[in-house]
Amino acid sequence: MQEKYLNIKLKLKRNKEFILIEYKYKKRSYDERPMALDVLLQAQEEKYDDLAFRYGCRARNCGVCTIDVNDRPKLACRARVKEGDILSAMATLPVIKDLVVKRDAITRQLKGYNNISHKNDLNKDADNSYHNLTACIECYACLDGCPIHAKNNIVDIQNNVAYKYGNPYSLLKIQRLLIDPLTPEIEKTQLIDKAKSLGLEIYRREYKNLKIKCGVGINLKGEVIKPLLDVAFGDEVEKENQ
Amino acid sequence: MNSNEIEYLECDVLVIGSGGTGSQAVQGAAEEGLKVIVISKDPMSSSDTKICEGVITVRESGDTTDTKEILSENIKLAGADLPDNKITAAFANDSKSAYDRLRNNGLRPSINKEKNTPKTLAIAMGGHNKSRSVGHKNSGIAFGHTNWDTIIKYKNVNYYEDCWFLEVVKKEFQKNNNKDIEVLGGLIYDAARGKILFIKAPSVIIASGGLSSLYFPKTDTMRGNTGDSYALGIQAGADLIDMEQIQFLPFCLASPPSYEGLLAGEPSTASFLGVLRDKNKKIILDSVYLRTRAECSEAIMRAVEDGRGSPNGGAFLDMTKNMSAPKSGKYFMKYLKSALPSAYNNARQALGKEAGKAEIPWEVRPSAHYSMGGIRVDEYTRVIHSTENLYEPKIIKGLFAAGQAMGGLFGANRLGSTSLTELAVFGYRAGKSAAKNANQSTKHNNYDIFHENYMKFKNIFNKKGKLKAYKLKLDLQKKCWDNIGPARTEKKLKIMLSFLNKIEKDLKSINVPNEMIWNQQFIDFIELKNMIITAKAVTTASLKRDKSVGGHVRLDKKTSSLFSKPYSTLIKINKNNSFGAYKLFRKKTSLKRIINYKISEKFRFMKAKILRSLPESISDSIIENKYKNILGTNKTIIKPGSIDGASGDKVNQI
Repeated sequence: MQEKYLNIKLKLKRNKEFILIEYKYKKRSYDERPMALDVLLQAQEEKYDDLAFRYGCRARNCGVCTIDVNDRPKLACRARVKEGDILSAMATLPVIKDLVVKRDAITRQLKGYNNISHKNDLNKDADNSYHNLTACIECYACLDGCPIHAKNNIVDIQNNVAYKYGNPYSLLKIQRLLIDPLTPEIEKTQLIDKAKSLGLEIYRREYKNLKIKCGVGINLKGEVIKPLLDVAFGDEVEKENQ
Repeated sequence: MNSNEIEYLECDVLVIGSGGTGSQAVQGAAEEGLKVIVISKDPMSSSDTKICEGVITVRESGDTTDTKEILSENIKLAGADLPDNKITAAFANDSKSAYDRLRNNGLRPSINKEKNTPKTLAIAMGGHNKSRSVGHKNSGIAFGHTNWDTIIKYKNVNYYEDCWFLEVVKKEFQKNNNKDIEVLGGLIYDAARGKILFIKAPSVIIASGGLSSLYFPKTDTMRGNTGDSYALGIQAGADLIDMEQIQFLPFCLASPPSYEGLLAGEPSTASFLGVLRDKNKKIILDSVYLRTRAECSEAIMRAVEDGRGSPNGGAFLDMTKNMSAPKSGKYFMKYLKSALPSAYNNARQALGKEAGKAEIPWEVRPSAHYSMGGIRVDEYTRVIHSTENLYEPKIIKGLFAAGQAMGGLFGANRLGSTSLTELAVFGYRAGKSAAKNANQSTKHNNYDIFHENYMKFKNIFNKKGKLKAYKLKLDLQKKCWDNIGPARTEKKLKIMLSFLNKIEKDLKSINVPNEMIWNQQFIDFIELKNMIITAKAVTTASLKRDKSVGGHVRLDKKTSSLFSKPYSTLIKINKNNSFGAYKLFRKKTSLKRIINYKISEKFRFMKAKILRSLPESISDSIIENKYKNILGTNKTIIKPGSIDGASGDKVNQI
């Protein structure tokens, strides 16, 4: 017979320190394999009413519930947990409290990036490569293992300032605009400059060893980083090769 | 007072909410070159818009004979004559330009190359009398990107996420027997930085969504829908209208817990032979595919009330007859999988393989989806507070509301794919109206009223008490489901009112620690308070609605007769601080149209009955042909919440 309880560890940030607590999740049926979010909701109801964590749609669409499960980013609403698992805040962003991270420094780095004029023929089809990118739910799982993002100082929660260095998400937004059939040629140079200013070149050096994973299965290396590198440095790479 | 905790800010337009409506409001105001601040409690653009099915109503998109008048009337009739004519006209007027604006912002539909228009769905959405529903790859997520890009685009826009809006700061002037209200800005709790923001702004836009979290986990919407819009609105002096009109989707999941509340199907999913059964396997509703959502919810909830419900408080949607039919069975399976792909996936994952093949019935239960009522506004989204005479409204100067926050557009029922148009049309209108008001306003010099108002919130931090806000929230959610859920009675409504009075008093005994950075108990306290106020408005409005109409089902009352005079319910705070409920009579559609509709409705049910009574060998072939017709064209996509999902909802279309 299976156990009635699951022992789950929660690594929480309280008063500037990280603490590890154990929560006994009470299974609602013997065969239940709960999601991480189920554990958090029950822990809040049963024991820690002040437990801070984010969630939204519970159906893998809104992208806000990302936490680390055993040090790997997962969407809490669809990540099944097992005995002994450790739930903690995403390691790649500054923790505000418990499992809640401050996310807006990423959004801010793209302020004003999409200054596209409004006199386009709207009835143009975007091809699949464009729509593949709009599947992104902004869960920030892709920050894990990103050598560019790793250069940011991610401690500050007091100031609403943008991170200097980019990440696969920011570059995805730029690449999406680049392949948008409505983006005028003249704007594309600026977009590439923006990608470069966010540290795109680092990917060029580390492309082979790059291990990044999208939370919803977008091919980030193939559909975001490689095409950007090709456009940004294509000529130079060719020259070097010659 | 510790001055470190307060941050003083100023802007021309302050937008509460960063979803579809908020981002459109931002654009409307930012284009005018004004300084805009957006406040969001959830991460930017992570709203209901982002998690919806991504189908939007665009006038004339699929049919050149479509006009503003036809669309406006379509909405009005679907809402059982409760919608405000001027608001439905504004919706119809702007729906095309609003969609083009979203496209300019990055939304990319598939294009019909022959007509050079966005591609509409293969089947005209049931409730719409013209083909005008446009779907999008990646559904709502595509809209999420567009909203995000819109907010990020303007250099004169600043935003603050993880911020809970506490109160609209306002000034009141007594004038004769009436009062004038003018907005000064807002008080905000910035949880991430542990600060209180005093934001001076002549214009404030409420774009903070709906109330479905009153019923959590029996909802398919975002967690953040804690009725903030309505609570902020009514406390600022606004009227609320049609608050009892909440759209419930009948066929949502009841288990396992991780999937509870999520959509499993629509009445149309039941197809030609699907029925609803109680726990004794007795049929409680047939011809399910022709029924309205309210009828399905009512049948389920009546069984539950009688103790004949399923283990998790629902009923069983039995589609096995569709599946086992020798000829049409395989077509049914194709239909089931393709009609509502995300709902089907939810059901298959949650209920298992056998259920996925429709070999066993599905346990289903209604979920809260959308609030059709809301803050009373005019067609320019200016918020209204009524005087003694309800029909001579006054404007609250500087306050605007749009999207799910506003009332007056849908009344008692909502056509499919209209909420995305609602946000694009009225979000943008709100931005423009707010900008106009800001340009005409004189600046207020000091923060005195902000300081005064803040005192009552400051006292909440470091409040000793025995009760936990989170626990009370759970209590309230359970009571809301039981008493103001999809099936209500006068007795339940009265129980709810006394519960609300009690829990309101309990607020005083809640424990909140003295901590500025991400004080979860303070956050839960604020949300709980908003939920209580909103639940009170819903309950009071339900008591004022004396018949079942649209999304509002009363087990103890008759269905509203099509001959009765239509009215909206109106809730406002009276002088003695109690909630007053009134009837706001609306213009009625001509009797000739009503009778025409009745005849066509009878005819549809008669056809369904004949089909069922035929021997299987004959009916099977007929159904096979029907499927071939549906599936033969393009892929069938039905939007949850749309009238196509419940063709029976045409009842209200008169």
